[in-house]
Amino acid sequence: MLEIRNLHASVEDKEILKGLDLKVGKGEVHAVMGPNGSGKSTLASVLAGRGGYEVSKGSVEFDGHDLLDLDPEERAAEGVFMAFQYPVEIPGVTNSYFLRAALNAVRRHHNQPEMPPMQFLKMVKEKAKLLELDPEFLSRGVNEGFSGGEKKRNEIFQMAVLEPTLGILDETDSGLDIDALRVVSAGVNALRSADRSFLVITHYQRLLNYIVPDFVHVLVEGRIVKSGGKELALELEEKGYGWIEEELASKR
Amino acid sequence: MLTEEKPNSLIANHEQLRGLLGTYGPASLQCLRDDALERYMRAGVPTTRDEEFKYTPLADLRDIDFRPSYGSIVHRKDLLNTPVGEIEAITLAFVNGEYAPEISTEGVLPDGAVFCTLREAMETHEEIVLKHLGKVHQLKGKLGTTNDERFRDLNTAYLSEGAFLYVPKNVALEHLVHVLYVSRADHGPFAAYPRTLVVLEEGSEAKILESYVGLGGRYFTNAVTELSVHKNAHLEHTRFQAEDLEAIHIGLVAADQETDSVLTSNNAMFGGKVARLDSNFWVGGQNAETWLNGAYVGTGDQIVDNHTRIDHAVPNCNSFEVYKGIIGGEATGVFNGKIFVYEDAQKTDAKQTNQAILLSPTAQLNTKPQLEIFADDVKCTHGATVGQLREDARFYLRSRGIPKPEADALLVYAFAAEVLEKISIKSVRDALERVLYEKLNPGQRPPGE
Repeated sequence: MLEIRNLHASVEDKEILKGLDLKVGKGEVHAVMGPNGSGKSTLASVLAGRGGYEVSKGSVEFDGHDLLDLDPEERAAEGVFMAFQYPVEIPGVTNSYFLRAALNAVRRHHNQPEMPPMQFLKMVKEKAKLLELDPEFLSRGVNEGFSGGEKKRNEIFQMAVLEPTLGILDETDSGLDIDALRVVSAGVNALRSADRSFLVITHYQRLLNYIVPDFVHVLVEGRIVKSGGKELALELEEKGYGWIEEELASKR
Repeated sequence: MLTEEKPNSLIANHEQLRGLLGTYGPASLQCLRDDALERYMRAGVPTTRDEEFKYTPLADLRDIDFRPSYGSIVHRKDLLNTPVGEIEAITLAFVNGEYAPEISTEGVLPDGAVFCTLREAMETHEEIVLKHLGKVHQLKGKLGTTNDERFRDLNTAYLSEGAFLYVPKNVALEHLVHVLYVSRADHGPFAAYPRTLVVLEEGSEAKILESYVGLGGRYFTNAVTELSVHKNAHLEHTRFQAEDLEAIHIGLVAADQETDSVLTSNNAMFGGKVARLDSNFWVGGQNAETWLNGAYVGTGDQIVDNHTRIDHAVPNCNSFEVYKGIIGGEATGVFNGKIFVYEDAQKTDAKQTNQAILLSPTAQLNTKPQLEIFADDVKCTHGATVGQLREDARFYLRSRGIPKPEADALLVYAFAAEVLEKISIKSVRDALERVLYEKLNPGQRPPGE
């Protein structure tokens, strides 16, 4: 469903991704781990279509689409969802207003009718329960005054509402205490299905105790240098990233 | 500066009306009117050479033949489709400046509280009216080199009908009171001079909405509102201006604040071909708090001008001011924010922010923070930004599937809605947010409804 080939991307003329290859099948959960500065967040941003990233080489195919050719809103409508590392506060727009606009935009894209308000309300209230969010938050501004944990829960809540086919978690565990991590992970796990894939981008193995991946990839200096099963994450946790970098150096 | 041109209709009408005006209130008011007219005649219609009207062309006031205001029939159902149609309040309504009991709504007020027309108040509460009317925070003799109150004078020259709210000592109003000025120029241009007087005695509390709603045509509203907030009184004054897009609206809110009082002024300026509001606040008692929240929107070729002025005359007072403007099309926005901190006013804490978004290359904004500080131990800050939409917020919305034009519209709306959210009465807040949305997205209902 997602195939990244030889992806090269740079920010402000500095090349960050240097020939990244990654294939994610339907229903699979892939973890991408790597040290700081290896290009993890760049990968997430390029996939979601954030401005300021220049793709110089390579391709990304998603469900038969050339993903890089789509605007961010088209990617979202086609089923890509990125949970932000730093969710944005938008005072003046309520969470429910925002979500309904998003959901209906996606439905319009697929020539579906808008969801009736009552049905929408019922649906979001149910999904809010899943993330242990007080429904009162729906009438507050988007992420306005939310704690770090609330913001991350809101991200997963939005994912639950929009039901993407590919969920990208960009360092969703950063800044989360253990309770919030548990809630967020439970939310993600509830969304796992045979039709939905995940790309879990993280620095630490901790998150992967809760969201158990099918595959683990190690990203170093802009390329996937090692892939394996979930045990690879444990090895990284134990030994750090140093040994992989050394291994790489000895091969050169 | 004496103008040499022929007297315009605004002055000519006065001769015709003077006798009739004299029948409103006691004889002392006639002197007030005559003095004010004399001052106005000396000043005349301002030009863009007058510092306080530099960006606000008012030649129409000279060129258009405004008649004295005349009656028009407005039914309750006519109001349903207006922004204020669903607001629940004890309402005192006026049509083209005349009291309109048929569209007013009565309600029960606590003992001693009064909410009635100025004409009635002059009969029943003459002493309180005369003690405050025309006396709230005049700029004469105060700091500032460009003090200009010619339109206050013009309004006073025609002083007659209007609204009066009085809340006695230690009384809190439970319900919102609403002064509604509706205008419909169905028989040619007219000029109206509504006057609102609000007196909150010591320890009292009230929330008042003052709205200006246009139902069509070309007219001139010259409004003056005086707020007298006594010791430890709390007032939330929300002013909503949605005049017709052909109309000229020039308003003044003058306030006096005593010790320990809290005054919140919410100002939403959406209508008018040319709209100008001066908000002048005199903070004359210690430990007083003043909040100014302003949202203004100009589209088409509107000119929207807000002048605010806070006089910190005594020590230990705080003022917080946030004004946000959205200017599109070929519209012009003006913001001038004066803060005077008098020599005695040590420990003043004054914050002023003015932010604006320009939606088109032909939209214009002239912004001028003006802080004049004569005390040495104060905290005063101001910030003015004119800018574009936040890119991070735009991407966030788009990444959830909201197309760029819709995302931008939402962010523009949110920019000003943030100010309207400070209005504490939900029905008013909701109504104004809806107006804001519809003004920015003509023909559409907000998706949240």
